[in-house]
Amino acid sequence: METDEEPLSPEASLRLIDAQRERAHRQLDLDPTVFLVPWGLAWLIGYGLFFLRYGPDERVLVSMPGWLPLATLLALLVAAGASSGVAGYKAYCGVAGESAERGAMYGWSWALAFAGFGVLSSRFEAYLPEAQFGLLMGSLPVLITAILYMSGGAVWRDRHQFGFGVWLSVINGMGLLAGPGWHSLVISVLGGGGMLASAAYLRARRR
Amino acid sequence: MPGLDPVIHAQARLRVVSSLSALGEGDRLAFPRLQDLLDMTAGNLSTHLRKLEEAGYVQVEKTHQGRTPATFVALTRRGRLAFEQYTHDLRALLDGAP
Repeated sequence: METDEEPLSPEASLRLIDAQRERAHRQLDLDPTVFLVPWGLAWLIGYGLFFLRYGPDERVLVSMPGWLPLATLLALLVAAGASSGVAGYKAYCGVAGESAERGAMYGWSWALAFAGFGVLSSRFEAYLPEAQFGLLMGSLPVLITAILYMSGGAVWRDRHQFGFGVWLSVINGMGLLAGPGWHSLVISVLGGGGMLASAAYLRARRR
Repeated sequence: MPGLDPVIHAQARLRVVSSLSALGEGDRLAFPRLQDLLDMTAGNLSTHLRKLEEAGYVQVEKTHQGRTPATFVALTRRGRLAFEQYTHDLRALLDGAP
């Protein structure tokens, strides 16, 4: 059965090509805001609670149970990780070949790096003062995320992604030097807030 | 239209090739997702794919994912070149138009 329509004019053909390619890109390309929003919220809220409960010089700015910030941060990170996994799977589902392989390897890097963080965190709690342990627990996820963003930038030759990884490395270093309490504030506002801001910027640019 | 690749010039096949050209080189797309992108019936899409395959422009690969059969479609190097040539010819026609 042949269902060819009337041949189009060159203008109409070019318009058809552009429209179809745009539709394909919209459905097949990963929308970075799908990742940035859940991670940004996790950091803004999780590290925000850390700052309020474990402020600079061991001040308690808002009283709450001591376990609440870490439990909230971990729960939000797990939720963000799960939603990223689902988003990645959806985008690559039905695509086979080099991109899918690259995406799967990159996805596993995140999962394994954070699983490693989980194991590590359970081994050192007994040996460190509370404030130092909090700083370690707070800075490791940022370090892991920064490294993975920079390597993601290298894999996809995406300067925005690489640049964001550099930004996270820098603010993580600054926060660590400033010490417990300040680190949480820096990561909450400049890290989590930064992710939400770049999601808003990217979304505005897509329109 | 003189000089334009008749295999691609049919509207439906032009849309198939345009969609596949959005994939990275070395990537294949599952038949149902391609169908989604085009709003074509399976039969209609198969017909056009056969023509493109005969011209050497697409590669249709039947495989298995677990136990379910799956069909993946990709643009061949020749198909990608033909598509680039086609868009180039279209632009030339437009520029040359009085």
